[in-house]
Amino acid sequence: MAYSEVENVAGYVGNFTVTVRKKARYVDVKECTACGDCIDVCPVTAPDEFEEGLSTRKAIYQPFPQAVPSAFVLNIDECLGNNPIACGKCLEVCDKDCIDYDDKDKLVDIDVGTIIVTTGMAVYDPTELDEFGYTRYENVITSMEFERLINSGGPTQGHLIRLTDLKEPKTVAFIQCVGSRSENKGNPYCSNICCMNTVKDCLLIKDHYPDVKLKVFYIDIRAFGKGFEDLFQRSKEKGAVYIRGIPGEIEEDPETKSLKLYVENTTEGGTECHEADMVILSVGVHPREDSSAIQKLLTLQRSQDGFFLEAHPKLKPVDAATQGVFFAGCAEGPKDIKDSVTQAGAAAARANRLMMQGKVSVEAITSTIIPELCKACGICVNVCPYHAISCDTEAKTPATVVEAACSGCGACSAECPFGAITMKHFTDKQIESQIDAMLEVDPQDKVLAFACNWCSYSGGDLAGTNRFQYPPNVRLIRTMCSGRVDKKFVLRAFARGAPIVLLSGCHFADCHYINAVHWTQRRVEKLWDQLEKKGIRPDRLQLEWISAAEGQKFATVMRAVEELRQKVTPEEVEHTKRVLKDVLEPPKKDPAKGKPAESESAASGVAV
Amino acid sequence: MAGEAKFTCLRCGCDFMLPFTPGVTEERTCPKCMSNSVRRVKQKKD
Amino acid sequence: MANLDGGGEELRVGVFVCQCGHNIAGTVDCDDVAKFSEGLEGVVVVYNNKYTCSEPGQLEIKKGIDENNLNRVVVASCSPRMHEPTFRATLVEAGLNPYLLEMANLREHCSWVHMNEKEAATEKAKDLVKMAVARARSLEAQDEMVVPITQKALVIGGGIAGVQAALDLADAGYKIYLVEKEPSIGGIMAAIDKTYPTMDCSI
Repeated sequence: MAYSEVENVAGYVGNFTVTVRKKARYVDVKECTACGDCIDVCPVTAPDEFEEGLSTRKAIYQPFPQAVPSAFVLNIDECLGNNPIACGKCLEVCDKDCIDYDDKDKLVDIDVGTIIVTTGMAVYDPTELDEFGYTRYENVITSMEFERLINSGGPTQGHLIRLTDLKEPKTVAFIQCVGSRSENKGNPYCSNICCMNTVKDCLLIKDHYPDVKLKVFYIDIRAFGKGFEDLFQRSKEKGAVYIRGIPGEIEEDPETKSLKLYVENTTEGGTECHEADMVILSVGVHPREDSSAIQKLLTLQRSQDGFFLEAHPKLKPVDAATQGVFFAGCAEGPKDIKDSVTQAGAAAARANRLMMQGKVSVEAITSTIIPELCKACGICVNVCPYHAISCDTEAKTPATVVEAACSGCGACSAECPFGAITMKHFTDKQIESQIDAMLEVDPQDKVLAFACNWCSYSGGDLAGTNRFQYPPNVRLIRTMCSGRVDKKFVLRAFARGAPIVLLSGCHFADCHYINAVHWTQRRVEKLWDQLEKKGIRPDRLQLEWISAAEGQKFATVMRAVEELRQKVTPEEVEHTKRVLKDVLEPPKKDPAKGKPAESESAASGVAV
Repeated sequence: MAGEAKFTCLRCGCDFMLPFTPGVTEERTCPKCMSNSVRRVKQKKD
Repeated sequence: MANLDGGGEELRVGVFVCQCGHNIAGTVDCDDVAKFSEGLEGVVVVYNNKYTCSEPGQLEIKKGIDENNLNRVVVASCSPRMHEPTFRATLVEAGLNPYLLEMANLREHCSWVHMNEKEAATEKAKDLVKMAVARARSLEAQDEMVVPITQKALVIGGGIAGVQAALDLADAGYKIYLVEKEPSIGGIMAAIDKTYPTMDCSI
């Protein structure tokens, strides 16, 4: 399905329903033979994106000669034919009659069991690095532009020429790490592929033009893969000169349009000036702009560099945290073709492993309505991010949950004013027993932190694997989503003498349960008001969003809450315990206006 | 009703203005200490 | 003084403290934690293991369940995001419902982040086990819903990775939908002339 985009994803592992927008192509893919008659008559010219704008194409075109599908596409924004009296020339010459100016986008629903995300990366635009003069000097080009110039199918039929005078350059300079490994402009990470790409480019140039002088300016050459060192040495043998140091400035000779590169040679020391007829910026890669759309659709997470985050960096390198979704290629991080192919094979195998079983068991963490307690108010219907709950508020019949659609965030359970929804495996009683156990002895010394499974708890795990040290006073209680944390849990913790309570969850863009985290924030805002009214300092309840990639932030937050804990006085805690005494009392007085009867009674039935 | 409102940070205690639309839940960060414990200061109008 | 769970069955919790070689035991006094665990409500047996996730470690869990008639298991080791699936499978092999497992994270959330505060880390570890046992006492068996899997896959993006994944899965016999934003597949690789390390064509 070329020229299509994923519009919506519903469902869960094994049973996704995906809505795909097939964009109007205005050319019938099946009928078009790519004969090219339409191109001959099309009067519109536009920059050719595939050729990096180095040549032009028509408004109706084939992206490149070997394109699959082998059919043309019409850019309707450039086409004049949309206007009835203006053109229509291509339609006249098309033997197959396969052009349709009235073609429309189509939405198609498809059912799939697994999804592989291979959305790739984007190439860094060096415009902001003004010192290299990419926008000012025509003979400073990017490595992608070079690829088109040296390609026999490209705009120059493979002749490497300068854009200013169409002459072959005598000296070509490469600058490495453009947009990579920089804390200021561009990206802090290594883009992985650019060193070897330049080595390859050097060999290509030397193959075509043995006399051209090559100079490569680098920080260090990372030739770590199989066969890479060999290639690097070959490029040196063929005459490429490697100079350690990145030029601080490039100047153009206004007459010859040749370039002067000023660089500090860090091997030999001292500032040098090198001349070159052409400079190729070895540009890095970065995440695609549309990654956030895919992230939202599939509830994925991204690491700090913006690429998609795998479920485990070593043990599940192609799995997403969302079951049934896998990654391959540069969507997950910068990598070369071999690594992309390897990872694609791994992702395919992981998807196959799931699908070949024919069935999958889904974790039993779902919500259950207690019909006797449900007042059919309908609040939960609006809370559920998955529309898994329905309730007829007029007929006053208890709400019902479609278990297969429930993902188990637990926001409904926390929002239900009547305690009529329990979460399997994360019941009120289970969570409350953790709170009580933690605060039984010396509660004043401890910080209670609620953490969501997918982000903040994982952020804590990352702090651990990275050995980021923080004070040992904090104890975490894990829930699947921070949206599960009921107000009464927080109040219970304070009533048990907790000096500080922290609620932590995903950043809004990372929420594993679409938008359940919104309920966390709203609830905390209400709790701040409530605490204040009761004379309890609201800042004793802290709120933080910590992603699975933010181990450092996790440690920082833990240090911050410990500092806050030390400022809470014993008198304050005693006062809080008195004020919130009612929270702990079993609902004996008024059974009609019961709190969660089932779990509470079960709780008191433990010791007989 | 989109506009700005006064917020206070419950970690470091500083006050600042942030975009605010009634009824819209947004992720907020204290510009000084980067905490997300950011609470809107309710002004008593009239 | 019977200790009963929600279903009226006597609670029999087994605690398995993992040293993780030196990873946990290097900071946390595992013997002390194990001794402390013995006194917790509902706990009938405590084991102190070098590597609980290893084959012998898992065997010990199975044996422990069998010999002591355990109906709740607490493993005090690493993050549940690491080994919960491992230990759940161990429980199933021993004939217990996998949801009767609870883990205390003594490694990522304790020994590795409080390396210079051994005593405080040990106290925290005790608390974490205590909380896990408290939670374990009220855990209930759950049945997982088994759903069929549609025998089709979606690949989003038609660059080299997407094309390769789609071909592999198609070769395995699945119907594949390959969705590509641009009018043709090939992605960025299609625009590259020659590719390293073999110096051959990209297309």
